[in-house]
Amino acid sequence: MKKKIRITLNGNVVSPEVPAHRLLLDLLRDEIGLTGTKEGCGTGDCGACTVLLDGKPVNSCLVLSGELDGADIVTIEGLQIGRELHPIQQAFIQDGGAQCGYCTPGMLMMSKALLDENPNPTEEEIRFALAGNLCRCTGYAKIVKAVQDAAMELRTRHTARQ
Amino acid sequence: MAELTIVGKPITRVDAQEKVTGEAVYGYDLVLPDMLYGKTVFSTRPHAKIKRIDTGKAREYPGVVAVITGKDAPWTHGESIKDKPFLAHDKVRYIGEPVAAVAAEDEDTAQAAAALIEVEYEDLPAYLSPEEACKPGALPIHEDFAGYRKSDFIVTAPLPNVCEHFKLRTGDVERGFRESDLVLEERYTLPTIQHAAMEPHSAHAQVDPASGRVTIWVANDAPFRALHEIAEALGLPLEKIRLINPLQGGGFGSKGGLKVEPIAIALAYHTGGRPVRVKFNRQETFISTLTRHEAILYIKSGVKKSGSLCARQMTIYWGAGAYAEKSPTVCIRGSLPAPGPYRIPHVKVDGYAVYTNKPVSGAFRGYGIPQGAWACEQHMDELAKRLGMDPLELRLKNVFVDGDLAYWGEKLHSVGLKETLIKAAEAIEWGKDDISKSKIRSPNLKRGKGLACISKPTRTPTLSKAAVLIDASGGVTVLAGTVEIGQGCSTILSQVAAEELKVPLEKVRMAPLDTDVIPFDASTTSSRSTYHMGNAVRLAAIDVREKLAEMASPMLEAGKDDLSFADGKIHLKEQPQMALPIGEVVRRRLGASGFLRGDSSYTFEIGKDLDLETGHSEHASAFYMYATQAAEAEVDEETGRVRLLRMSAAHDVGKAINPLNCEGQIEGGLAMGIGSALHEHLVVDETGKVRNPSFLDYHLATSLDLPKMIPIIVECPEPEGPYGAKGLGEPGLAPTPAAIGNAVANALGIRIYDLPLSPERVYWAIRRMKKKVA
Repeated sequence: MKKKIRITLNGNVVSPEVPAHRLLLDLLRDEIGLTGTKEGCGTGDCGACTVLLDGKPVNSCLVLSGELDGADIVTIEGLQIGRELHPIQQAFIQDGGAQCGYCTPGMLMMSKALLDENPNPTEEEIRFALAGNLCRCTGYAKIVKAVQDAAMELRTRHTARQ
Repeated sequence: MAELTIVGKPITRVDAQEKVTGEAVYGYDLVLPDMLYGKTVFSTRPHAKIKRIDTGKAREYPGVVAVITGKDAPWTHGESIKDKPFLAHDKVRYIGEPVAAVAAEDEDTAQAAAALIEVEYEDLPAYLSPEEACKPGALPIHEDFAGYRKSDFIVTAPLPNVCEHFKLRTGDVERGFRESDLVLEERYTLPTIQHAAMEPHSAHAQVDPASGRVTIWVANDAPFRALHEIAEALGLPLEKIRLINPLQGGGFGSKGGLKVEPIAIALAYHTGGRPVRVKFNRQETFISTLTRHEAILYIKSGVKKSGSLCARQMTIYWGAGAYAEKSPTVCIRGSLPAPGPYRIPHVKVDGYAVYTNKPVSGAFRGYGIPQGAWACEQHMDELAKRLGMDPLELRLKNVFVDGDLAYWGEKLHSVGLKETLIKAAEAIEWGKDDISKSKIRSPNLKRGKGLACISKPTRTPTLSKAAVLIDASGGVTVLAGTVEIGQGCSTILSQVAAEELKVPLEKVRMAPLDTDVIPFDASTTSSRSTYHMGNAVRLAAIDVREKLAEMASPMLEAGKDDLSFADGKIHLKEQPQMALPIGEVVRRRLGASGFLRGDSSYTFEIGKDLDLETGHSEHASAFYMYATQAAEAEVDEETGRVRLLRMSAAHDVGKAINPLNCEGQIEGGLAMGIGSALHEHLVVDETGKVRNPSFLDYHLATSLDLPKMIPIIVECPEPEGPYGAKGLGEPGLAPTPAAIGNAVANALGIRIYDLPLSPERVYWAIRRMKKKVA
């Protein structure tokens, strides 16, 4: 059964018509064509498909499209601030936080969710927040460093604005 | 050598931007126009004859375009033994073997139709241990083994199910044991584990009905080897096959060879020219791609009271799984250095790659070195304990140094091993146990330190070709067949080209990988790329630089030798202000759309091949990688849980072309090694079924599982390598489990011979010892 839903996706309102059982992950990747959100397992175990749903990080492979009417969704394609990279993206580049890059979009979205909640996390808090996002390349050290650096940059910007 | 401007600098990755924005397109993301969706049916029996396959209902299902079985795909393939059918022929040899496939208009239809295919089996006895499968009297898993097409180097044995027997014979081990003051014999085992690259496997294929040309889009780490293997299997000339490589989301060895590719190709012959995509989900990736060899290792050593090693004998059973894949070469290159990086006068090794009815084993980061090291490096500590020597001291006494004749007959040079031992040990305050132990919070927590070292060869001889182009805007394009699997090759090779042409890194672009236009490269494996392709790109850049200098010579009214390069320009050595941008030289001579091209080809000549009777070779490897890792662990005697406090990893890379990237490789290798030491085990039960084919049940190291990691770069330059570079990708996980095992043994006084060091295993080992003491 197809269902028309109205969602805000990366700031734009879209109204796709999708089978209600279609996973948000497949809606994004196959129906809308935003393949930045990655499929690593399809069972909610790896975090590669993390997106923000109403500001909260979710595994998009565990969300059904039929339940999304009115939702606000941000994917990796919506992380940039205008044409500029988000400080988390910048930090991942600077610190070597991405290797194969397949877990990177999910890592970035989870990191953003963390820093939105907690602008000054400890290393332990960062490691805890990212524990559901698997990476097979980096050993996480440079990812953790990138989140720390991004947090500092965001705090500096915040202070500068005040 | 002129001063290096870009090589040696911790430059950020050239592909980072597209990866952090989500723009990067991986194999799993690729959508082709008019594409069909494939779904595979897998064997549910470990070893059985196929009595009947009923595809009737699937064929009638609306939206289905093709349904195929082994009868529609009469081809076989394999790296060195052509034993693997595209889809099972007549029998299945493991649970997870592809048996049939469907192509349909959409994913849901393909899945629904595949579920309607009925397969009837007649079970055969299944062999689940390599040691059991090669016992005299075992039934053959491959009845037609003798008739398979094979490479020349395959050595068989008069034992059932052995697809390769590697032999190393140096001196006389029996004499060595007689002359020893102490002889120790042990048995170690490692279970099957999996690569678990974050991107699952997929392949797209299309057959052009008019020309018969086959195009495959796949994130394969060795596109040219795949091309040759496919052409050989299909009986087509090479030019009828084309591989296009989208980005690869990690591989670690799993994405070489052919796995999803044969299914996609077989389907594409039945879709009337439409492309078809075959994806494996995570569960299918676990059961039907590749695994790392489980291994059983017997090790016996003789040593003098002084600590000098006299003799070492090893017998190694490598679990190949149902098909040979890369098992013969893993067996050869893993068994050869298994006795460790030590001077030993008498050495005997027998390595057997043995078929079993389990998922197929193949290349896995480390290529046989982790298995040998798990046995050899713990065995070294047991010898040290019995001799009353410090394990570091015992190693320093015996390790390879420059000029040594290795037990396989090769004179060694550029050996940075000692430095790695000393630095890795220092980094965890080796010998200062009192300080560390005073910090223990509770009496049931025991602390210990351990270390392990390795040497690793690279696949030799192999060929890399490359081309470097300069266009009229001064842009530099590198054509190289090395696959960016996450290891950072596009950054390293860009640095090499930028260095030789003295252009800013932003001017360098890596051409996309398409076998129609990219020059040949053997493979992105074996930590061979920085050395081989680095040399090839360097030589191609020098070639185009020479041509450019010749072209610029009349323009600058100077001899070729009086010209020099800097900042994207060619200038007079004596008058640097007399300069032309390199693009301008190209434009003046060849026009605005012109470009200048340099080509190259690099291989390391080995002379005589490996002697199949003795395992001896004057050049078993173009270069060797040396590494030592050291661990400090805390073990909870009440729960058996091993907690790592810190780990150092000192790796001799020859020359770090990009230190940031080297650190990333070392840390990533360590994490994988720690996972394999403490958690990872692809559990195959007594029925041959994988019990944990998901990330929920197969425990990869998470951000919470890892200790403080101390990567240490050691640079002992390799004269043949580009700027002195060797390789790095593979050794990162090789000594890790043994270093941790030694730390655990040091903490508890108990040796554990089997991986992983899970809480349960450690707990029962402690219980057994306490019982014995009581």
